[in-house]
Amino acid sequence: MRLLGVFAWSVVEDAMHRKVFYIILALTVLMIFLIPLLPSAQVGVQLDLMREAALGLTTIMAFVLAIIMGGTSIARDAEQRTIYNIISKPVQRWQYYLGKFLGIMLVLVITLALIFIVIGVFVLAKFRVFDPGLAKALFTIFLEASILTSLTMMASVYLSPLVCVFVGILFYVVAHVKGGYLYDAMNNGNPIARIGAGFLYYILPNLERFNINETIAHGESVFRVGLLDLILLTLMAAAFTGIFLYLGIFLFSRRDL
Amino acid sequence: MAAVLRIENLKKSYRTGRKSPRREAIDGLNLQVDAGQILGLLGPNGAGKTTTLKSVLGLVNPDSGDIWLFGEQGINAKARKKIGFLPEQPYFELYLTPRKLLKYFGKLFGLQPSGIEARISHLLSLVGLTEEADLSLNRFSKGMLQRMGIAQALISEPEFLILDEPSSGLDPLGKVHIRGILEDLRQGGTTILISSHQLSEIEDICDAVAIIDRGRNVASGCLDELLLSEDRYEISLLEPALDLSAELPPSAKWVGEEKDRLSLRRVDLNDALKLIIDNGASIAGVREERLSLEEYFTNRVKGSSEGTEE
Repeated sequence: MRLLGVFAWSVVEDAMHRKVFYIILALTVLMIFLIPLLPSAQVGVQLDLMREAALGLTTIMAFVLAIIMGGTSIARDAEQRTIYNIISKPVQRWQYYLGKFLGIMLVLVITLALIFIVIGVFVLAKFRVFDPGLAKALFTIFLEASILTSLTMMASVYLSPLVCVFVGILFYVVAHVKGGYLYDAMNNGNPIARIGAGFLYYILPNLERFNINETIAHGESVFRVGLLDLILLTLMAAAFTGIFLYLGIFLFSRRDL
Repeated sequence: MAAVLRIENLKKSYRTGRKSPRREAIDGLNLQVDAGQILGLLGPNGAGKTTTLKSVLGLVNPDSGDIWLFGEQGINAKARKKIGFLPEQPYFELYLTPRKLLKYFGKLFGLQPSGIEARISHLLSLVGLTEEADLSLNRFSKGMLQRMGIAQALISEPEFLILDEPSSGLDPLGKVHIRGILEDLRQGGTTILISSHQLSEIEDICDAVAIIDRGRNVASGCLDELLLSEDRYEISLLEPALDLSAELPPSAKWVGEEKDRLSLRRVDLNDALKLIIDNGASIAGVREERLSLEEYFTNRVKGSSEGTEE
């Protein structure tokens, strides 16, 4: 446990020393502040639009952070050969790998907590509404980001960071459309397409389930995201993250450095 | 003497490209480092030195063979706790300061916070970086980073130190400084394995060497024994003996232009001495000829390449 903490904290410290982290965070906050200036924000339900756009931006930010950090954290250590100084110490490879993952999760938690404060204060100041429901959406964004991070980390054991980013984007897109396009493709079209679509449909998580932004943006007036929903989503995220982490550690323990 | 490291029939092959055939980086290597010994691991580029060190540290997974560390088979965290490692051209997160970097590595060894600070101060003083303790590493020269590499290798007071090109990037004074550190460690009983291309450095520091070529051990043993093992002697004369040349035994050859030193094989020694005395020349001395490590290394590696190794 102690070593996991050491590795996790080193990832947080590393992120705090990287300009790209601050650029992504600053851009997100800036764009949240600019939402009220959108032409469409001048009419209709401004609060709903504000919340939906802010959560959409946060989703993109978490997605970018998860893919970049997951895809580069270990690959960069290997490329720069700093990994020699670490793995030659009395540590197990799984401790290093899991510690890195936990560190990325910690960075995401810190970032999403900051965003929660920014959106919460902004909404409170502008609309005089305190909206704790935003935390639910940020939590599911975090869950989705954990799956993406574990996948890109697994890919980074053997692939270059650029390819990992591509894999992450592809996974994100396919896992989001699987409920619609993949389901349709699985039941229609030629046999080969049906088999391919069916394979992806059953093997990939349906990431669209984690997207509760719209529900939260509309104040849960139509659907309500209950505790049971959040528990089920957490279990689903834990299952896929666990599988990707297990495979990643398995591959990493066999990799020559 | 107990072996700190024993390698038996180690094999490791790599594929250099997707379609290229596998190449043997290590091909049945045997090696032993005894407790308290400083052993130099030598070999031409691509001989398998770094792969050997990586195998010992668990950075690569050998195809076959056995590695014993501190009498136990295999590489585990317990054994690595007693090992300090300096990789070739060590790289660090450059935003860190020496103090923070050493603290991080100290934590990986499970050092107690109370003891880490004192150890860090001692190590920074040892490698001459006390004044730079709180500067970020991105301001460091290559030589200073190398010193940091040595400091981090010593953070846990290792019983066994593995150094890959320890003097890389160091200026002459830096090399002397590091040599002094290694001498002190030897006095303290630390076992050291050094991989280096600096043959003069190896000759100065090491008790024993192992020469590997194409992943195989082509020579190993105590340095003094190896360098004297070529069976040659040198006769020094008080004055040049120009008229002897025609009658000298076949293995004899003059050393230098002066013709006052004669190098020859042991079997020809008595005949040569008799010839010199019979011709009225005066003998200043006879000594066993000691090759330089460079000469020995070149002979062995050439011999190995030409397939003349027995």
